[in-house]
Formats: sequence, C-alpha cells, structure tokens
Amino acid sequence: MAEMKLSFLYRAAVTKGEELRYISHLDYAGAIQRAIRRAGLPAAYSEGFNPHLKISFASALAVGVTSDIEYFDLELAEPLPPLTVAKRLKATLPPGINLLELRQLRKRKGTLMAEADEAGYTVDIPLTGPAEAARAAVAAFNAAPECVFHRATPKKTRDIEVKQYMAEAIALETGGETARLTMRIRITPTGSIKPGEVLSLLVDRYGFPGDERNAGLCRRALTGQGKSLLELDD
Amino acid sequence: MIELTPDLLGAVTKPARYTGGEWNAVHKDAATVACRFALSMPDVYEVGMSNLGLKILYEVLNRRADTAAERVYAPWPDMEKAMREKGLPLYSLESFSAIGDFDFLGFSLQYEMCYTNVLNMLDLAGLPVWSAARGEDAPFIVGGGPCVYNVEPVADFFDLFVIGEGEAVLGELVDAFIAWKNEGRPGGRQGFLLRAAALEGIYVPSLYEPRYDEAGRFKSLTPLHPAARPVIYKRLLADFDDAPAMTAPVVPYIGIVHDRIMLELFRGCSRGCRFCQAGIAYRPVRERSLPRLLELARQMAAATGYDEMSLTSLSSADYSCLEPLVDTLMADFAAARMSFSLPSLRVDSFSIELADKLQQIRKSGLTFAPEAGTQRLRDVINKGVTEADLMAAVGAAFRRGWKAVKLYFMMGLPTETDEDIIGIADLAKKVVDLYTEIKGKRGVKVTVSVSCFVPKPYTPFQWFPQNTLAEFDRKQRLLKEHIRDRAIQYNYHDARVSRLEGVMARGDRRLAAVLYEAWRAGAKFDGWSDQFREEYWLSAFEKCGVDPAVYNERTRDFDEPLPWSHTSPGVETGFLRREWDKAMAASLTADCRRGDCTGCGVCQRLGVRVVDGRRQDG
Ligand code: SF4
Repeated sequence: MAEMKLSFLYRAAVTKGEELRYISHLDYAGAIQRAIRRAGLPAAYSEGFNPHLKISFASALAVGVTSDIEYFDLELAEPLPPLTVAKRLKATLPPGINLLELRQLRKRKGTLMAEADEAGYTVDIPLTGPAEAARAAVAAFNAAPECVFHRATPKKTRDIEVKQYMAEAIALETGGETARLTMRIRITPTGSIKPGEVLSLLVDRYGFPGDERNAGLCRRALTGQGKSLLELDD
Repeated sequence: MIELTPDLLGAVTKPARYTGGEWNAVHKDAATVACRFALSMPDVYEVGMSNLGLKILYEVLNRRADTAAERVYAPWPDMEKAMREKGLPLYSLESFSAIGDFDFLGFSLQYEMCYTNVLNMLDLAGLPVWSAARGEDAPFIVGGGPCVYNVEPVADFFDLFVIGEGEAVLGELVDAFIAWKNEGRPGGRQGFLLRAAALEGIYVPSLYEPRYDEAGRFKSLTPLHPAARPVIYKRLLADFDDAPAMTAPVVPYIGIVHDRIMLELFRGCSRGCRFCQAGIAYRPVRERSLPRLLELARQMAAATGYDEMSLTSLSSADYSCLEPLVDTLMADFAAARMSFSLPSLRVDSFSIELADKLQQIRKSGLTFAPEAGTQRLRDVINKGVTEADLMAAVGAAFRRGWKAVKLYFMMGLPTETDEDIIGIADLAKKVVDLYTEIKGKRGVKVTVSVSCFVPKPYTPFQWFPQNTLAEFDRKQRLLKEHIRDRAIQYNYHDARVSRLEGVMARGDRRLAAVLYEAWRAGAKFDGWSDQFREEYWLSAFEKCGVDPAVYNERTRDFDEPLPWSHTSPGVETGFLRREWDKAMAASLTADCRRGDCTGCGVCQRLGVRVVDGRRQDG
C-alpha cells in the first residue's frame, strides 16, 4: 500500500496582467509552477515516473484575456505559515502575476474548478459607429430569448445556446471613442461561453459597431455562490 | 518604443514570441548605458532562445554596467507580414526599441540555411542589407557562431565577425566601441572598424578583397589595409572552469526547443570524427571541475525554477567525473524532483547504465549515431564504433526496458559504395532481431534517420565533392528497397536543402549576389522544410550566372587556395591532409583527450592545452 503523506493546502489569488495577455492558460500555470520552485517552497509532488507539482486552477483563461483575479490551490509537504509562503512567492512571481492573497485551507474541499460558478468580465472596445447603435445592439442581445453561437475548433464544431450562460444583462458604458461592456457569465458543469464569443455575436449578429480585433478583455471576478473563492472556506 | 496592438498580436500564431517580459530578462534604461547590443539568432523565438552561446553572451554583456544586451529573433512569416503592413520595424524584446537604434546587432550563425533570414531581418530593421550601403548611424552588424569558419558567402552583409568563443572577445569589442564613442567617433564608421580589426579574433571583411584567376577559381583574399591580419585565429577560453558563465538564463513563457537548464560540462571534443567540423572548431577539450558544475547547477535551478536539466556538451558521456556528477546532482535535487538528461549518448553500455539511472524517457527511445553502415566506412570517418559496441549498447537498453531506438547515419561519405548503404539496412535489421532474441517477441521500433553528408571547411573532407542530387536520390531509394522489416522506420533528409548547404558551406563571396537574389525572390526560413522553396534559389543561381556545382560537386586540389583559410580554428592543414590519407587507408586516429597529442596543431597555435580530469599530465 502506498504510504500516506501529509500535505498542506493553500489557496492563492493572483492576477494575470497586461504583460501576460498573450500567454495561454497552460503557460501561465507553468510560469506559476516555476515561480513556486524558485521560491524554494517545499511543494508536494505527485507520485510516479513523471512527478509534477500538486497545483490546480479554477477556470482556464483564454489567450488574449487578462485577469484581475485568478485562483489556484497549492499543496506543500510542510506546514509553512501562509505569510511566509506569500512572502517567498511574491519575490519570485514574474511581472504581471501579482499575489493578491494567500490562505491556508483548513480542510480539503472540492476542486476549485467545481467551486467557481460565475465569472465577471469587462470588454473595452474602440467604437466604429455611433453610441446609439452600440446601445441598440446590446439591448437587442439582452432582449433575445435565445442566441446560438457556432463554435468551430479544428476538431469539431458545436452550436451553443448562449443566453443560458448570461447571469445578467450585459451593461454598456460609452465614453467618446470607446465602449465598455460588462458581463457576468455562468460556469456550469456542462459548459460555459467565452466573453470573446459573446463579443463576436454582438458584432456579427447584432451589429455592434466595435473594432473587435482591438478589444481588451479582462476577467474582473470569479465567484462561487456569489462569494469570492477565498471566502468559501469559512 | 514599438507598440504592438491587439489586432496584430491577436492574429498571429504564438504571440508570446513577440511580447518579451520573461523571468530573468534584463531591462536597462538606454540612457544609462554607453553601448546597446542586440543579440540575435536569425530564426524563430523557440529556436533562438534555445541557443546556449547567446544565453551566455546575454548574461556576460549584461553584467557590464555600461552595456545593455537585448534579444531579437526572426518573426515568423505571419508576424513579418503584419509588421510590414503596419510599418513596424524589427524591435528588441526588452525595451521594444527599433533595432536600428542599437550600437551592435549580433547574429549567431548556426547553419548556412539561416542566411536569408539575416537579410530579411536587416531589411525589417530598415537597414541596408549590404554593409557598404549602411550609413554612419547604422548599428554594426556582427556575426559569430560555427559558420564563421567559412563566412565568405555572407561577408558582404556584415561589418565584422567574431571568430571563436564570443565570451573571450565581446568584452574587448565593447571596450573599443565605448572608447571610440567617447573620443567623438574618430574616423567615423571606418575608424571603428579599423580599431576592431586590431583586436585578435575579429575579422572585418571590408578590409579584404577576393581575387579570382582567369578560370574563375578563387585565388586569394588580399588584405587592403595594414590593420587586416592575413589569418584571424579563433579566440577561446583557455580556462573554461574560471570563465564567466551563465547563471540565470531567461525563462520563456512558451515552450522552446531546449526548454530546460543547460549545464555545460566542457567545451570541445577530440574524438576526431573526420566529417565533423565541431570536432575541430572547438578544440581542445576543456572541462569544468565538479565543484564548479555543482555550483552552477544550484545557481541555475534557483534562478529559473526549471524541473529539467540537460548535461550539455559535444559528447557529454566523455566527461571525466560524470558518475560522481550525476550521483551528486541526483541526490542534491531529489527533493526538487529535478530530472536530468544526457543529450549525447556514446555507443556503449556505460551510457546505457547512465541513461537508466537518469530514467531517460523510455517512450521516445534512445538515440545512437553509428553514422555509417559498415565497419570499413566507419573506420574511414574515424567513428570508433564497432557493430559489437552497438549491439552491446542496444542490447543493454532492451534488457533495461527500452522499446525504441533511433539510429543516425549519413550518406554520401567519401569512399561510400552501395554496400555501405545496404549496410545501414542490415544494421537496423540486426537491431530489430536482437530485440526479438532478448525479449522472445517482436515489438521494438527502430528509427533510421539518414542525412545527406555536407563536406565542411576545416575537416579532413574539405576537399571532397558532395554527392549529386541524382546520387543522393538513388541511394535513398536503394536504402528504402532494402528496409523490409516493418519495425524499421526510415527518415531521410531533403537532398536539395543539403545541396544548398553544401554550396554555402564551401562558397566564396560571389555567392552573396545569389543569396541576395534568392532573398529578394522570397526565400526565408530555408531550414524549415515547410518554408523552403528551391525555385527561388535555382532562379537566383541562373540570374547571377553562378554554377552551384562548382562549389559543392568539384574535387578540390590539395594545394588550391581555399576561400575560408583566413578565418581559422587553429588547425594545421597538414593535419587535415594526413587525416584524409588515413581516411583513404581506413586507418584510425585516437582521441587526444586522455592520450597523446595527435598533432592537429590547435594547442600549439593558440597556446592552450587539453583540460580533462583524467589526464595523466593534467
Ligand atoms: S594539438 Fe594535440 S592535444 Fe591539442 S587538440 Fe590537437 S591533437 Fe589534441
């Protein structure tokens, strides 16, 4: 029988800054893992031929999207005070990944992936037409009972009904040349929709007058049952 | 500062190639330094970032307070197109400065097929590609790397070349530049080039003129100025142990070709394979001491966070203290779960034991390089490997659980006959049968990879004609016919690329026009099979009236002047000549690493000596 090893669980909240906008989720995770190793933290590793650091993330962020708050769970082989872990990690995280908060979890819970059920995004987009047209497009999208996005990947294509994932109506602010869309998107066990995909629908289907290719997407929040994922442990 | 907009980065493949900001990247304020040095490899980010020499130079230059070294690589064609459309010049990954604003732009020239990328990058930087056309304010374009042992085909595009190990020279070059700058740039651009030419190991091609005889044969490269030395010998680090080393390499966000710590055990290899230019170019062998390597390993692990370390060298298994090194590293880094790899395995069971200890990945298999299919031909090339060695090595591997081996060979070697080609198939079949014999069942995968031999300057085969395309084609088919076992997978190289490489490798300055025309027609990334377009080259040769066969298919006279003889790794021509004779007699030459000097002349010429932990006189 395999030897049981004690491990100590921590949850961290970090950013993905402008510097890292074009880094994929996998590479972002790799950068955090190397930072943990640089910090010399006594990380727990998986058993087997190809051991890897025990770390898990909440929800993958697409290339081209920054984030004000991302979460990951990390297992250590020794119980270090969270402040010590945070201090050492802060010194080795690359520019663009700021450690916002780190807590020790008292007990093992479900995966972060399962806990996150909603994400908030903003999309800053240069306007290519009048603000009224932008408002009309958003209003039409918000009022539509359903709306299907055609997701094509190299492997397969799929039709997705988008409105089921919209937690609330998209809000629009316009100011001068640019507009800001704010959206809250549900993450469900059976799927979700990406903010970039919603934006594509708005532009292609609803005639939103914006320069989609120069839009800046940012995740502003990631929550479970309406609360920060750091609060869930209490 | 160059601004990259989302529409540009969002539309290209792997945008992280172009956005910098990596851990350990060095950002300095341009206003605080006296010299700005852009370091480049004319290939895509993932390849350029993997180059050990550039990583070392980046750190060594950035340790100087007065100098800022930054990186730049070749944008992939999709990015190049977008940059040209938007009018964005080539820029550096640290400060996003236009390359034209640097004092130096240094290219590491690792293989001939990158030459069109040099031209393309100069053009993208808004610089004239011909050195003679560049203005006073343009950066000095510097070349280095293994191609300097015949750099004539690109000589007219560069201002100067560094011959040998860059760490040994660049400091002096930067000093000379800063002094010249502080004195108010006396003599202008030419004034600096004359000062550079006075440094040992620096070749300034514009200070020489090639002469050709009536028949169009290369006759001489004549110095035009007293500062121009007739021969520029390579510079090297006599004491490699003590030399400035890489301790904190840049850690990329995206996967690169060699995405791991590279611990360089030693420089040089004197096994004496007669086809191998590196085996001459980096002589003599100079090892690092065990304590120094352990110190560097610890520093790099702490500075990068990598979980993989490669014990890098031309023939790592030859390191005199390899066992204690591996044991200590594995113990030191057990808690950090560091994995280790030996990139160059020897064909013997010692290597297999080591690979087993290191738990080298079993799925992808082990790689061996017998290089030739028969014992006779292996003796001709001085590859001291017998069939018994190979069988012992692969047998040991199979017993320890490996199910796949890769075997590297060359075709087109001197004295090669069809028997030697068929010998490749026979050898591969014997390896398959050995597996079946040991395991009592089939199930092995043997990959046979055959490249087309390119004769290189400063090797005993530098006078030998490369096989013609038709000959390579015939041999490739012959081998294919003889490989019948389904367990053997046969890969071969595109002979058209090897031919071009062969032309450039032993070319002269008249090829510059061909390169220019091929680039103008659209040639770039010629080393990438999906990008290579032979038609650009064929029409360039035709347009310039240059017959490529004169360069690669002609048998050279032993006493004919060679266009590369002025940039020398220090080897004596007499040694190369004797090695040719021994090759013809299929007679072997021993390694001087732990044995007697075999008279290549490098140590005497350059005033250095072999440094190896197991040498008796060491
Ligand atoms: S001079 Fe002698 S010892 Fe030195 S590298 Fe050449 S053969 Fe070896």
